[in-house]
Parts: sequence; C-alpha cells; structure tokens
Amino acid sequence: MAHEPRPRRFVSTKVEVEGREETKIVELPDRTPEPWGPDAELTVVGQRVARMDALEKVTGRARYTADLHRGGMLFAVIVRAPVPAGTVTRMDTAAALAIPGVRGVLTADDVRGIRHEAGHLFDATIHYAGQPLCAVCADTLDVAHRAAAAVTMEITPAPHAVTAEQALAEGAPVVRAGGNRTRNSPRIIKRGDAAQALREADVVITREYRTPVVLHTALEPHGAVAEWEADRVTVWESTQGIFMTRTDVARAFGLPLSHVRVMKDYMGGGFGAKNGASASTYIAVALARKLGRPVRCVLDRKGEQVDSGNRSATVQRVTIGARRDGRLVAILLDAIVPLGIGGWQAGPARIYHELYQCPNVHTSETFVYTNAGAMSSFRAPGHTEGAFGLECTMNALARELQLDPLELRIRNYAADDQSRARRYSDKQLDDCYEMGAQRFGWDARESRRGDRTGRWRRGFGMASATWGAGGGPPAYATVRINRDGSVEVLTGAQDLGTGSRTVFAQVAAETLGARLATVRTVLGDTERLPFASNSWGSITTASVGPAVRVAAEEARSRLFEAAAAMMDAVPEDLEARESVIHVRGGARTMTFAEVCDKLGDVMIIGQGSRGPNPDGATLAAFCAEFAEVLVDVETGRVRVERLVAAQDSGRIINPTLAESQLEGAILQGLGYALFEERAMDAALGLPLNPNMHDYKIPTMRDVPHLEAFFVPGADTTANHTGAKGVAEPPIIPVAPAIASAVADALGVEVTEIPLTP
Amino acid sequence: MRLTVNGSAYDVPLAGHETLLAVLRGRLAMTGTKLVCGHGECGACTVLLDGVPAYACLTLAAACEGVEVTTIEGIGAPDRLHALQQAFIDHDAVQCGFCTPGQIMAGVALLRENPHPTEEDVQRAMSGNLCRCGTYPKIVRAVLDAASKLEASHGA
Repeated sequence: MAHEPRPRRFVSTKVEVEGREETKIVELPDRTPEPWGPDAELTVVGQRVARMDALEKVTGRARYTADLHRGGMLFAVIVRAPVPAGTVTRMDTAAALAIPGVRGVLTADDVRGIRHEAGHLFDATIHYAGQPLCAVCADTLDVAHRAAAAVTMEITPAPHAVTAEQALAEGAPVVRAGGNRTRNSPRIIKRGDAAQALREADVVITREYRTPVVLHTALEPHGAVAEWEADRVTVWESTQGIFMTRTDVARAFGLPLSHVRVMKDYMGGGFGAKNGASASTYIAVALARKLGRPVRCVLDRKGEQVDSGNRSATVQRVTIGARRDGRLVAILLDAIVPLGIGGWQAGPARIYHELYQCPNVHTSETFVYTNAGAMSSFRAPGHTEGAFGLECTMNALARELQLDPLELRIRNYAADDQSRARRYSDKQLDDCYEMGAQRFGWDARESRRGDRTGRWRRGFGMASATWGAGGGPPAYATVRINRDGSVEVLTGAQDLGTGSRTVFAQVAAETLGARLATVRTVLGDTERLPFASNSWGSITTASVGPAVRVAAEEARSRLFEAAAAMMDAVPEDLEARESVIHVRGGARTMTFAEVCDKLGDVMIIGQGSRGPNPDGATLAAFCAEFAEVLVDVETGRVRVERLVAAQDSGRIINPTLAESQLEGAILQGLGYALFEERAMDAALGLPLNPNMHDYKIPTMRDVPHLEAFFVPGADTTANHTGAKGVAEPPIIPVAPAIASAVADALGVEVTEIPLTP
Repeated sequence: MRLTVNGSAYDVPLAGHETLLAVLRGRLAMTGTKLVCGHGECGACTVLLDGVPAYACLTLAAACEGVEVTTIEGIGAPDRLHALQQAFIDHDAVQCGFCTPGQIMAGVALLRENPHPTEEDVQRAMSGNLCRCGTYPKIVRAVLDAASKLEASHGA
C-alpha cells in the first residue's frame, strides 16, 4: 500500500542578521494565520498605547543588573592592562588580599580555557590597553576598588600598533600571531566587471572618506551577578541575548545548558555591544564558584568605554562611474577597517552592493588587527560606515552632473536585490523618498537658503538606507490565560528599551480579542521561557511577533472551544473583543474570566513558533533622510537645524514606540556625524577619552527639529504580521545627509567625520 | 550619622569618603538612583538636596547631615505619580529607562524653580542629563506638558 508522502516538518530558510545571511533549520508551525494585510481591521495593533513598563521606569522601581542584591553578595573589580602591548612577568596580589574585607582574587589559573578576544581571559600577553589581567573581590565595591589598586605587577612593554597605518606599516609589531590582517583580507565581493565598465562611463568621480571609532556608551555598563547552587549557576546579566549568554557560560565552565540559568529583566541599553557573555560575566561566575558566594561584577565607566566594543573606523576609497543622465555603470570601493584586537568583520561594502541599481560593483575590504579594544556590533554595523562613503559620493556625483540628489537616486532605484539576484518581499523606499521630500520641503529648499555671504550659511543634504530587518526563525512563544482571565505572553526574548514587551502584548491582545491591560509579557529567563534569539539586527518584532500571534491563535481556539460548550454555540460563531466573547448575531456573552473560572485549573495554553521566511525574497527595511544645517564659516561650527526621516518598516505595531526608536537612532547618527570619536594616543597606544565628559554624546541642546515617520504599509510576504524591524535603518543615512548638507552650505565637500570645527 | 531621605531618618554608620550615591544604593537599598559615570558627567544620579538638584556621585554623604535628600523613590508612588512621571509615561519619554530617574529629578527641580519653562529653558536646565537612547525630544515635551498640568491643578 502506498503511503502519502508526509509533509516535511523541518525545512531550511534564510535569515539575515546584522547584514549577514544565514541558513537556518526551522520547524513548521502547526498553523499559519492569514496575513494581516494593509487594510486589515485591527484594534490594538497599530495603536499608540503607552509603554507597558514605563511605570516601573519612571518610579525607579525597575531593577537592572546592578540593582540586584543577593544575600552575602560580593563585589568584583577588574584590574586592567595599563599599556597596549607587552607581557606580565610578575603579579603580586598579597597586598590586595591583606586589605580587610577582601575575599579573594581571580587570576589566569582560575579561568584556564576561557577564551577572550585574541587569546584567553587574563592572558599574560597584553594585546590592548584595558585588557583584563585579574580581578579582585570584596565585601563592598569600595573595598574592591582599593584592592584593585593594590595589585602590583611587572610588565615588559612591547611595541604596539593602534591604528591601521601602524599595523600595516613595514616592520609593524605583530598584533596577532596569525598576522595583522585577517586571513580573508582583502575580502572581495563583486558583480559584473566594474573596471571595464568604468572605462565606458561618461563621468567618473573618486573620493576618499574617513570615519571614526565610536563607542556605544550605553548608560548601563556591562555587568553580571552570578550565584551557584550546587552544580548549577544563575546569571543575571544585562544582555541582548539570554540564550547566547547561556551557551557561552555553559561552554566556558563545562556545564550542561540545563545547569545555567540566565535572566534579564531590565537593561539600560545595548546598541549591539551586549550580545553574549563578556569578561564581566565569566569573572562573576568564576569568582562566585571559587568563593561560594554570589558575586556582582559590573564594569565601571572607564572599563565600559575601553573594553566593551565599538564601531570600527574605516578608510573608504570610492569610485563611481555614471552616464551623463546619472545612471550608474560602476561602483568600486577599497576599504581599510581596523577591528581592534578582535570582534567580527562588519565591513562597509555590503550597502554598496544593495542600495542602487548598478550592474558592475567591486568592493575590497582589508580588515586589520590593532592593539585596541575589539569592535562589536553597533547599530547597523557596516552599513552605517559604508553609507557615509557611498551616499556622500552619490551627492558629489549629483553636483558633478548638476542633478538633484533625490532625482539621481530615483534614476538608480534598485527594484530588486541585485546583490542576491532576487526580489524584495516589499520595498517602499520610493515612498520614503517622496513623502520625506514632501515633508521636508525638498523642492522648495532654495527659497529657504537665504544669504550666501554671511557668517552662517545654510545647506541641505539627503541620504538613504537599506537594512535586512526581516527577522526570521527560530522563535517561540507561549500564551496562557489564567483563571481570572488575565493573559501571560511568555517568550525568551529581551526588551532593551525598544518596547518589545508592549509590542508582544499588543499582538497577543489583538489576536485573542483581549483587553490590553490584562495582558502581561514575561521576558528574559532561559529556564522558564521558550527560546527566542538575541535582540539584534532589528529582528525582534518580526521574529517573535509572529510566534506570539500563532500562540495566541491557538489559545483563542481552545478558549472558544471551551466557551462554545458553555454558551451552547459552535466555536466558529464566536468572536471576542475586550476580553468578552460574543456569539455572532446573538445576545449571549461570556467574559474570559467567566469561561476560565468555570474551567478551574484547566488552563488555556497556546504554543507558537515563527515559520520560515519566504523563498527567493530579500526582506529589508528602508529609510530616507533629509537634513538642513547652518555652518559658521568663521569657526566651522555646524548646527543641524532640521532632520526629516521617512522609513519603511512594513506594519508598525505601535507608532509611538517606533517613533522613539527612529528619533533615538537619528540622534546617535547625529553624534556620529558631529562629535563622537574615540581619541587614541598613537604614540602611547592609550585611549584619551574613556569617559562621558571627553567622549561627547548628544545632549538635549544638540537636538534639531526632528520629524520622523513611517510610510504606511504591511509586508505580508515577509511574515503574517506584516511588520519589519525599526531600530537600525534610521542611523544609517544621518551622517552622509548632514555631511552633504554641510558641503552644500560651504560649496566644499567634507570627507571625514566627526565634523568637529 | 543621621541621613534624612524622602522624609524618613536613617542612622547610617559610614566612612568619611563615602558618596551619597554609594550610601543610597548600597546601605539604604534605594536603587532608583543610578551609577553611570561616577564623575558628575551624565546626571543619572541626580537627587535633590533641600530641593536643589545635585549629583549624588559627587556628593559626600557626610555632608548631608541636616539636609533633606529627595530621590526618585520620594517623588511619587505608582498609585500617586508626580505630574512629571505621568507626563513621561504619556509622551513615551522613556526607552531603556536607565537615565529616567535622573531626568525626572532634574525636571522636578526645574519646575520648582521655574514653573513656566520655555522649550529652551528645559534644554538648558537638563542638558547635563545624558540619554543614549535619544529620548530628548519626548522628555522636553513631557516637561512642558507637566508644567501646564501642574499650573492647571494649582489654579483649580
């Protein structure tokens, strides 16, 4: 007898995270809801409801990692390398241990095998200034700081290279044993024949750009509290990825995953720097094991600024060839990217392949190790740096051709994703251009320009962005309806301050027909919650939202089946609103609480997972930004007057929270454009501004007039909620838009940020 | 020494060099006031000393004898929010929330001194309170809104 072939339960799908596409195996969900199309009638999704954890935050009751206090808890402080290269030949901790209240030290012998950046944690070989060398632990933070200062050591310094120029020079010091360039350098990505096409171009322009190393500067530093119970450890961590942190800790300490519990309730910002365990995590866990007491290890501000990641600097040499009508025929990039001592390769090249229709693109990236803190993801890593070179060059080309920069972009609009030879699930960058330009008054900008001879000159600029913010599997959620009708959404995701808690509750309330105030989202516990991935790459809403919806659909169908029996109806005739179930066309109603109370301890539970991404499509968000600046021609001071941003992120679940993300990303971009830069003394190899006074992030006085909005839409090809990510795309165009406005004001191009006077 | 925080007196044994921030967070378990920079650079630890804003990280606890210290915990409770706390919620002037207690304390101090601030007054008074999430535009709106609501309620 022939069997029907069983449909496959596990399939593979493509997911893009932080500009990198991965193939993942995904379990098909039991149900795939009808997509919420652009015209779907939704009553909770799309509403400007208040952030659900705002009350805890405005009353100071929200507990962050450093606010936790466990009985008998000790405090750890890290002792760091004072030089960028060398060898520790002797370390003496006796004086530190003799201080009353000091409970122990942690040295390389205690953490054998735990990897950290270029080598191992507490390596005797120093790779960068600020590298952890040992840690001390005491009853109070105050005593721990004194103990850290009492550790003495002898160090034989070695020559260092803290810039790409130093590391690539002939006879440069060996930064990493495998070589100062990454093994894959130069990384070449190409399509067509750019060199040949350039010969046939009507216009060729070449520029060189420089972008700085910038620091995340999250207000809450990295940190962890660790507590062991027999052979199991609980870690409270300020992290964007509880499950990744769990994997890291389990691997480092040789534990089964089931013996590591990672929890995160509130966190004070991440911006890409808090993905997985870091030195502070390992130190807290190791000290807690060694001393048999809970240990808190939270970085101080200097530690955070020198050793918790950064956005790589770049040098980008860009050549663009175009026809007289502005159509691009060739794009070439030659980039040098110093990574610091490690991290990953978030190169600037990808956006050169993605943003415009162009048959011939050739990019080359050389990644260089230097004796400085390792890079890490920082809000749209790679694309933000790359957009500065690409978009400034496009604006230079527009000037060369005497074309409107907006018109140049429309003429080179990429309807498909040429870099991967496939379509977009949806793309409304054209709407972003049109609606952004309209809101800004782009066409009428000359009428605002005013005096061209005075001290303050006015200029206008624009730029755009693409970012793979479609999310994807795996992600799981559970929805429970309690006896009193209250609802819990359980998922192992994180809310970094983005609003995920609120967004998931809205999706669940919408699907269930529940009153939003009765829905609570529970996040951040690897032991009690189903898996969700790191909150990075602007993926959380689009990855987890659909899983929440599936879980809520399953819960609703169970609830309706139970209610139908009680209401003498069939489930198909029931509908719910504000936690009240109605029989369609009838008068009979029951509340969720009435149904569930009758069920007693029989709990309504729905499980949901995120299904695969569509085959053969690129999922991305898009953004266009327009800047107006005033430049003081005497001092060079730049005042950004106005920024308008129009973004396509598909359906917006909560416009208020999403706009907060837009504004925040734009202000980080403004800091990148105007004044943020990690200053490094190249001769000494030491960072000069590892604090919040000398490293300038924007203040309230730097805020221009901001108008940031979303173009309407819902990308139902991407997923059945129609939502895509929000957080990263809007930082991408800020610096080139501002720099181009400055160039427009002065009539002189600027090719380097920050634009400090 | 005796420390008065949010209207309650505490007898605290302390070393002379301990900061008010360390005492609030460590000894009194009032963790709403945040440690961010430790050097008076960011405003996250803003508290009120006799109604005047101060950085708790730069204030010696020993200097606070006889001073009325007010922290975020003393401004309003969940069921009885200060108008500015409510305005922060209404305007989504909160993202990660880590700078929020300091922002609110700075805002409360401003509104006490200047009940009718202009947008520029707010920007000047609060430019020492850093926020990396970039909630500034909404914080300004929240402060201005709270000012008008406070005026309306006082007028009533």
